[in-house]
Amino acid sequence: MAKGRELKRRIKTVENTRKITRTMELVATSRMKRAQDRVASARPYARALGDVIAGLYSPDLADRFPLLRQPAQARRAAVILLTSNRGLCGGFNANLIREARGLLSRLRGQGTEVELHVVGRKGIGYFKYVGQPMATQRTDITDRPRADDASSLVDGLMRDFVSGALDAVYVVYAQFRSAISTPPTSDRLLPVQPPTRSGPLPDYLLYPSAEDILTELLPSYVRNAVYRALVETAAGEQGARRTAMKNATDNATDMMNTLTRTFNRARQAGITQEIAEIVGGAAALE
Amino acid sequence: MLTVSVISPEKTLFEGTVASLVAPAYDGEVGILPQHAPMMTLLGKGELRLGPDGADGRFQIAGGFLQVLNDSVRVVTENAK
Repeated sequence: MAKGRELKRRIKTVENTRKITRTMELVATSRMKRAQDRVASARPYARALGDVIAGLYSPDLADRFPLLRQPAQARRAAVILLTSNRGLCGGFNANLIREARGLLSRLRGQGTEVELHVVGRKGIGYFKYVGQPMATQRTDITDRPRADDASSLVDGLMRDFVSGALDAVYVVYAQFRSAISTPPTSDRLLPVQPPTRSGPLPDYLLYPSAEDILTELLPSYVRNAVYRALVETAAGEQGARRTAMKNATDNATDMMNTLTRTFNRARQAGITQEIAEIVGGAAALE
Repeated sequence: MLTVSVISPEKTLFEGTVASLVAPAYDGEVGILPQHAPMMTLLGKGELRLGPDGADGRFQIAGGFLQVLNDSVRVVTENAK
């Protein structure tokens, strides 16, 4: 029964693969839970900072802050693309790369020179493959990003923006809406778009002055936007991996069922044939 | 009593009520008691002490800001331990 053995071997392979994908699904689920908590615990800071900046900002201050400078025409821009270091997460990285390519060609269409900063092995691999030069490549940011990672990523770009070497900075990341919805998103970091104020500001005593407070807090605001992009992308990666591995596990189960059924049918056919042969042989003897 | 939250980018480090607090403002320490006027100030480097003599918690902070409004205090800083 050569066919039976062959089938048995394939059933075994699929079963082993399913063990791996099931495990990866469970690991991704628990990692996603923790990553999700990090996204949630980053919120109070972002809200507090946003409130204060919205409260202190007024449009006539815009000219005095280099980070709010609105260049008439963007000659040079930087794009930060966040991808994951590991694969096996479905179309997650492909979607991010597609979003980044769209943004790049849009900017280049407007005559802007663009430098590309890529985080994560997957994005770097892709742009290396298509032969596009990257200004920086980083793989050292783990799936537990820290606030320091954000500052090391964006501080240099803020300096370039202030000195006028850059006219805009964008970030492409996976927005974490829910475990199954992590759409690739591009946001403009610089020039800063101050959050809008809701209601009048209470009569605060300001030390040293509104201007000094804003000078201090605007860079924090930009760094925090990057930090949030990092944690959301990390959570999105785990979510995407969980979905991908769940599908793989389900497919493996289906495949095993089909193969087992084929195997049983082949076994039964063999037995039936054997009986028919015996009966035939006995009949010939009479 | 004052409702205080100490917030870093990564998480909320402290949330609760204290009788008073002393924070390192940019130009020297500032003490906050209940009924303080609404205030926003930049923070410098130093120790944030919650409660009398830091009984309710101490944090080493550098930079950020402090906001007081209606007896609730928010300390928002990138560097806190």
